[in-house]
Amino acid sequence: MTELEVTNVSKRYWLPKPIGSAVEPGGWARRAWSRVWPSYDAFWALRNVSFTVARGEAVGVIGPNGAGKSTLLKLLSEITAPTTGEIRLHGRLSALIEVGSGFHPELTGRENVFLSGSILGMRRAEIVAKLDQIIAFAGIGDFIDAPVKWYSSGMYVRLGFAIAAHLDPQILLVDEALAVGDEAFQRKCYERIAALRSAGKTIIFISHDLLSVERLCDRVILMQQGRIALDGPPSQVVAAYRRAVAAGAMFGDSAGQADRGVSVTGIRFCGRRGDVEIRTGFPFNVRVSYLASRPIDDVVIEVWYTTHGGAVLQCEQTTARSSDGLDLPAGAGGVEFCCEALGLQPGAYAVVARILARNGTLLHVFAAGSALIVGPGQASRGQFYMPYTWRRARRPAAIEPARFAQESPDGLKV
Amino acid sequence: MHPSAGVSVRVLAPPTWRSAATWSQVARLGHYRDLLSTLSRHRINVRYKQSKLGALWAVLQPFTMMLVFTAVFARLVHVPSEGVPYALFAYAGLLPWTCFSSAVSNSTNSLVGHAQLVTKVFFPREILPLSYVIAAGVDLAIGAAVLVGLAIYYSVPLTAELWFVVPIVAVLGGYALACGLVLSAVQVRFRDVGVALPIALQLLMFASPVLYPLRVVPAQWRTLYLLNPLAGLIDGFRRSVLGMPVDGQALLVGTAVTMVALPLAYVAFKYADVTVADVI
Repeated sequence: MTELEVTNVSKRYWLPKPIGSAVEPGGWARRAWSRVWPSYDAFWALRNVSFTVARGEAVGVIGPNGAGKSTLLKLLSEITAPTTGEIRLHGRLSALIEVGSGFHPELTGRENVFLSGSILGMRRAEIVAKLDQIIAFAGIGDFIDAPVKWYSSGMYVRLGFAIAAHLDPQILLVDEALAVGDEAFQRKCYERIAALRSAGKTIIFISHDLLSVERLCDRVILMQQGRIALDGPPSQVVAAYRRAVAAGAMFGDSAGQADRGVSVTGIRFCGRRGDVEIRTGFPFNVRVSYLASRPIDDVVIEVWYTTHGGAVLQCEQTTARSSDGLDLPAGAGGVEFCCEALGLQPGAYAVVARILARNGTLLHVFAAGSALIVGPGQASRGQFYMPYTWRRARRPAAIEPARFAQESPDGLKV
Repeated sequence: MHPSAGVSVRVLAPPTWRSAATWSQVARLGHYRDLLSTLSRHRINVRYKQSKLGALWAVLQPFTMMLVFTAVFARLVHVPSEGVPYALFAYAGLLPWTCFSSAVSNSTNSLVGHAQLVTKVFFPREILPLSYVIAAGVDLAIGAAVLVGLAIYYSVPLTAELWFVVPIVAVLGGYALACGLVLSAVQVRFRDVGVALPIALQLLMFASPVLYPLRVVPAQWRTLYLLNPLAGLIDGFRRSVLGMPVDGQALLVGTAVTMVALPLAYVAFKYADVTVADVI
């Protein structure tokens, strides 16, 4: 049974344009006018978001800052209305957006239970009936009859969550409210949410805490730039998000980067001819495509390989083999990195490409969660593949010097 | 558990005038009546929480104004007061006026003043201005104690006209709410409202029969003057408590204007209300 339907929901905000500087044409009259009546830029916090949640489902919503998570929460909790589209709710919804909402510092904890409880939508009789439970849950002792302005921040949060935890919603929205309090209290909060979940309540959990999301949810939605990027089982979605975060955080934020004249448009991998699969120890090519809006001289293109956890494994860069600069003419183009034997062990890896100026200025990062899947090839144990041959020792006690494959025995490159 | 919740489907959609003007909005308010009573009580509790004189301030405000205006208008310029002592006359006008003015100025700031709440929790927002209007009504009741004292002191006769007080106060509250709803919603976008309000209220006080009787208004201005509902309501309040026959025409005009203004204000408020959190 459907509990909640979100259909083509978009939300637009208006951001005021910066007030014109002195050099702006039009002079003082225009500037004065723009002060009185500033012009605005449309900003779409959500774009055509649609999903449904079944009764009793626990859905996590994750994504980077500015992805639209909070906007979604505000729409679901009716704090503001969508610009287009509609949301249908089939049950009473309570939102745990910020604990301690509606607390008044001058009132005692007990008085605030009534105030905050009724703001959160509880009936007075309901609060009276649950008052003892709420006070016990908060566990703040005699402070319940002291004004909340004397509370420590921990006590404030405990009381706030205690009230919210005793709401009786059919749908519960939880937003980061659990990232507070000591560990024992946090555990109490999770237990409460788990109890609500097993009681058949529908839960929407918006958080940056991926571990809790994975633990608590049946399904996870990944938001990116106001849209749903992924919607599926927690392990898959969380892993994809970790990959993107690891890549983005380490190599510069790829969301909303400024236009510096060039951008990476894609990364493609290729194995041996006649074998589409990429295998450990086999030849491996990677192509980085770019688009330059104007000619740019002396750049460096890099390809980074990382684990899901974000550990850097290897980097290929255009200056590593020869220190020659790379001049990009305007238009689309690409570079290929060719590797004789791929050192990565079978598994999935994140790949990030970026373009820098020679002085290190980042021009563009491409970290669209591109995954490199490496299949089994040359047998190899350990962390990485190391090409080698072996032979019987020819001299009785000494070891022969090593050589490049193309080297003649006297040390000269052929 | 809310009685109607859980059964019905709630549709959250972009604001339209049609959806703002439905009875379900008012019905929804009914589900939140406990919040309304808690908040109204809270207004009164908190206002005087750290003051020594407490609720006495509800009396002192109109009372000191009465003393000042009596000194000026009765001693210096001799304003007519329909045969009753000016102090009594002025207090009977200042009491409903201070109720109206504090209701409007508090409710105008109610949304902006609760920005923290408005952007964090959903509840019918009209509860905020409404709770201030109710709190002002309680102040009026407290201030009425002094009026009773003055009436006994000046031995004012008790007449059946006194019953008019009940509907007059109700309509006065309705008009204050209409003003508060519109101004609070506009204040969210244009903070100029909050700055202009004290001046506007000053002007309005002199444009209403607070310190002078309605009867002194020249006949050719009377119709225009009565379009301000406060004219009929404040004059009516004073006449009924002082045992004088009320001016039926003035009261009727004031009530009619309020009955048109309040629903319009409510619908406009509900229309703006759904996106108030975006701009506050």
